[in-house]
Amino acid sequence: MIDLALQTVPGVADGLLPAAVLALTALLLFGIDTINPKEDSLALLCGISVGGSLLALALAGSLLAAGYEATPVYGDALMIDGTSLFFTLVFASVTALVSVASYDYLRDQDYCAEFYALVLFAATGMSLMAAANSLATAFVALELTSLPSYALVAFLKTDEGSVEAGLKYFLVGALASAVLVFGISLVYAATGAMTFSAIAEAMVGAGDVAGVLGLGVVMIAGGVAFKMAAVPFHFWAPEAYEGAPAPVSGFLSSASKAAGFALAFRIFVGAFPVEMAVPMGVDWVLVFQILAVGTMTLGNFAAATQENIKRMLAYSSVGHAGYALIGLAALSAGGPNGNVLGASMAHLFVYGFMNTGAFLFVAMAEHWGVGRTLEDYNGLAATAPVASVAMTVFMFSLAGLPPFGGFFSKYVLFYAAVESGFWWLAAVGAVNSALSLFYYSRVVKALWFEEATVPLEIGRRPVGLYVSVLAAALGTLILLPLFGPVVETAQTVAAALF
Amino acid sequence: MAVPPSYYLLLSAALFCIGVAGVLTRRNALLFLMSIELMLNAANVNFVYFSQFWGNVTGQTFSLFVIALAAAEVAIGIGIILVLYRNFDGVDVTEATTMRW
Repeated sequence: MIDLALQTVPGVADGLLPAAVLALTALLLFGIDTINPKEDSLALLCGISVGGSLLALALAGSLLAAGYEATPVYGDALMIDGTSLFFTLVFASVTALVSVASYDYLRDQDYCAEFYALVLFAATGMSLMAAANSLATAFVALELTSLPSYALVAFLKTDEGSVEAGLKYFLVGALASAVLVFGISLVYAATGAMTFSAIAEAMVGAGDVAGVLGLGVVMIAGGVAFKMAAVPFHFWAPEAYEGAPAPVSGFLSSASKAAGFALAFRIFVGAFPVEMAVPMGVDWVLVFQILAVGTMTLGNFAAATQENIKRMLAYSSVGHAGYALIGLAALSAGGPNGNVLGASMAHLFVYGFMNTGAFLFVAMAEHWGVGRTLEDYNGLAATAPVASVAMTVFMFSLAGLPPFGGFFSKYVLFYAAVESGFWWLAAVGAVNSALSLFYYSRVVKALWFEEATVPLEIGRRPVGLYVSVLAAALGTLILLPLFGPVVETAQTVAAALF
Repeated sequence: MAVPPSYYLLLSAALFCIGVAGVLTRRNALLFLMSIELMLNAANVNFVYFSQFWGNVTGQTFSLFVIALAAAEVAIGIGIILVLYRNFDGVDVTEATTMRW
């Protein structure tokens, strides 16, 4: 067993090993770059990056399979439990996919080591976000995710689109983190505590300052909504995803979004329990209901009007944030909260594969010099049938058509929402899913049924991109038979949060 | 004579609002960064005062973290503003509009 061999690392709790492996891999990449700054070692750098993320994946998987017990570490600052390990699985698999895909993307670029190191540092921050057990660590982990992401979006520094995207992402992100930290300060003012359990205890006596507390809670919700790309803070997403290198767009829209949700689940379930917060008038469930409906509707309607594939995928990822928000919006005192939260986690897990895959297909098209609009994709299936089959799988899975992973996760999610008594959230979700089928099938139609306007010349087949797109498609398909265990695990670990 | 806690909340809220106003009205990216700094320091005022109010050092310690992270954020921000300047010949955030908002 890998985990047994590494269990003796001094000073690191064994549940933190996946995060530690990610961080050490990033430092190793920097070390190699310092010793050998020439840019001829791309294969080595890529291999180390993939190896590190796969090791983290294996560690998190084996710990989760062994039924890891919830352990608070470092004076309650972090909580290693099923939820943190489950999300680490998502982050590590997306990181591995993106690292493989970047091999072809970085071939003509300088600073490959920095690129991989930034990706892995962001992944470290994400797995710490999923383990945060105090507002202080939550903020630090969120910044550890955000700061490398800004740099990654602006990675093509001579490309106007990339720089503009980086700027906009940074401006909105800096504003959101300032709002978040002010919210944390208000919660601290009202309760005098930072760790989630201490805040939940102190809330009992905070009745007379419920206004300050409530404002703080809303501001914290705003800060995490930025990471999720949920509605009031979503407008960076289309810009950032369009301008950023496509593998980075995939990384941000899958892993970074899931990290925002992991953090939100932690904070709101741990620090502001529904049965205490709502009677005090701090009704964050209502806030998330409004956000969920707004995000679903706006994301899907905006996606339906896009001609640019990357922007369409960006708005579709906003829409998916709306579905996943049902996990928080359908909570109630005494309801089947573990089921609905777990369903949302399972949806984020499936989404990690299908959405990353879709962005990596776009990366492949960019690699071939295919344009960015829907028309440019016309007839692509004739020249690249295998990749087009994979893209078709991603599109139908994202739309939630029956034989694919996305259908099961949405079904379980909507079913759990109905079970909790929030049938109207499920109804809004179902209507939006039906709408989303329209714009996803436009891509499939362009790929398979339209005639190419310009004959397409494809040079060499990019190996890394092919491997990662096919791996993501395989992930989406394997999740069909495996979906039962995934959703059971997710609901078990989510139930342990309450 | 002790100053009541609400005064500190008002002070920090005022600082925060000045920061927000700066973010919304300034077109210069560097002034934008300064406004963000103002918002973060508004939070620090709360942390430091309520640390004393509650009699624990958690808030004061965290304010040091906030200051350090603000510095890191500015470092990344300045880097991005630098490439903005090289690509768009200026640091006006409204100039960079090759994609529509």
